[in-house]
Amino acid sequence: MALSLSGFFLVCLWGGWVAVDTTSLGQIMISRPIVAATVAGALLGDPAAGAAMGLVLEAFNLMVLPVGAARYPEAGPASAVAGAGYALFSAPGALLTCVVFSLVYERLCGASVRALRQLNTRIALTPDSRSDPANVQRQHLAALALDWLRGTALVAAGLAALVWLLPWVAAHWMLPDKVVRIAVAAGVAGALAATLQLFRGGNRVLLFVAGVGAGLLIGVFR
Amino acid sequence: MDERRATRAIVWRSFVIQGSWNYETLIGTGFAFVLVPVLRLAFGGDAERMRAALHRQSTLFNCHPYFAGLAAGAIARLEADGTEPELILRFKAALRGSLGAIGDQLFWSAWRPASALLGVMLLLLGAPWWVAVGAFLIVYNSLHLYVRIWGTKAGLRNGLAVAKRLREAPFAVLGKRAGDAGALLAGICFALAVTAVPGGKGDAALAAAAATAGFWLGPRVRRGLLAAFAILWLIGVSLGLAAP
Repeated sequence: MALSLSGFFLVCLWGGWVAVDTTSLGQIMISRPIVAATVAGALLGDPAAGAAMGLVLEAFNLMVLPVGAARYPEAGPASAVAGAGYALFSAPGALLTCVVFSLVYERLCGASVRALRQLNTRIALTPDSRSDPANVQRQHLAALALDWLRGTALVAAGLAALVWLLPWVAAHWMLPDKVVRIAVAAGVAGALAATLQLFRGGNRVLLFVAGVGAGLLIGVFR
Repeated sequence: MDERRATRAIVWRSFVIQGSWNYETLIGTGFAFVLVPVLRLAFGGDAERMRAALHRQSTLFNCHPYFAGLAAGAIARLEADGTEPELILRFKAALRGSLGAIGDQLFWSAWRPASALLGVMLLLLGAPWWVAVGAFLIVYNSLHLYVRIWGTKAGLRNGLAVAKRLREAPFAVLGKRAGDAGALLAGICFALAVTAVPGGKGDAALAAAAATAGFWLGPRVRRGLLAAFAILWLIGVSLGLAAP
């Protein structure tokens, strides 16, 4: 499926909103991969593909905690790009390419957040100007606008790169699709197993085991 | 000070409190941004008091964004009551640590992953994408929005005494219950993911190996997965490039 100009524009708009949702605006969690990737896929006409990508990337991002001023990758814009890419190309190699691209690109996105914060520090209000409400509001809203521009640019660049990469990968891909699906599914299982460390203490291990039992029953008899 | 107008102003502006996050004042500028309309309400036409208060409140500050309304409400109350600036700043410094810890433990470590696992489970069960996404967003934001509004009102009404209201609130219990739900959901999702691995015994063994790695590595499993997937991708492309 070719990427139309309107589709590109929509995904970039969505990506900009996703980027500011991470920290600057709302934090209503549309920046989580399960939402960002799914909606990006839906905007391009294939929500199922977006949801599949969102599920995988969400599992890989459950352990990332934005505690204090910690440095962490920014999964939202990267997931939107990956969801859009997978919705456009269901060709051989697309699944793994989009997953790897997202896991790498989210580090670049995280670095851009730190760069923006450095910029905000440089243009932070001087002690004299802090008492003027107009200055305070102007600086704050300007920083918010910069963050939106950052996110939109990242999604535009990422989507352009992925749209170029995917057909090239498809032309040179030699691994059977089954091998990739097994690897990704196993990776998701590993990432979900790792989340037990998030829920430490008490009888959480028993609850996890109970959940495994319930899940196996559902999975086997479905 | 009109409490309803103040609550509305703080709640709406609190959604962008982190917009100017920087390494000097952290969310200090954003905190001042949230307080601008409330300080105007409190001080009426007294521009001098307004400027002095705004100068105080745009210095270094940080807290969990969902609890920022509580801090802003309490500080607005103290400013409006003419409390000693020294006391206001000491109170603000005390709030910083506790609100950060409560918010991180409740939301980032428990509520968010549990809500996300609910969405993941629904997708693994084959639910429509909009059901899974909608369930995650609705469940997550129900507590998120409640805390923003409750915190703002509690801060405005109680001022210095808001610490008592915070201690009485059931956030620790909620966090524990969310953690319990998260552990259960993590187990269900893990099992559904394992049963989704296509193939026979060899593939089940791979899933078991991945699970063991996950249990053992915890957060570091991400790096392992990225490395493994990158190697697999390189193999996939290299085989194609090398083919005649």
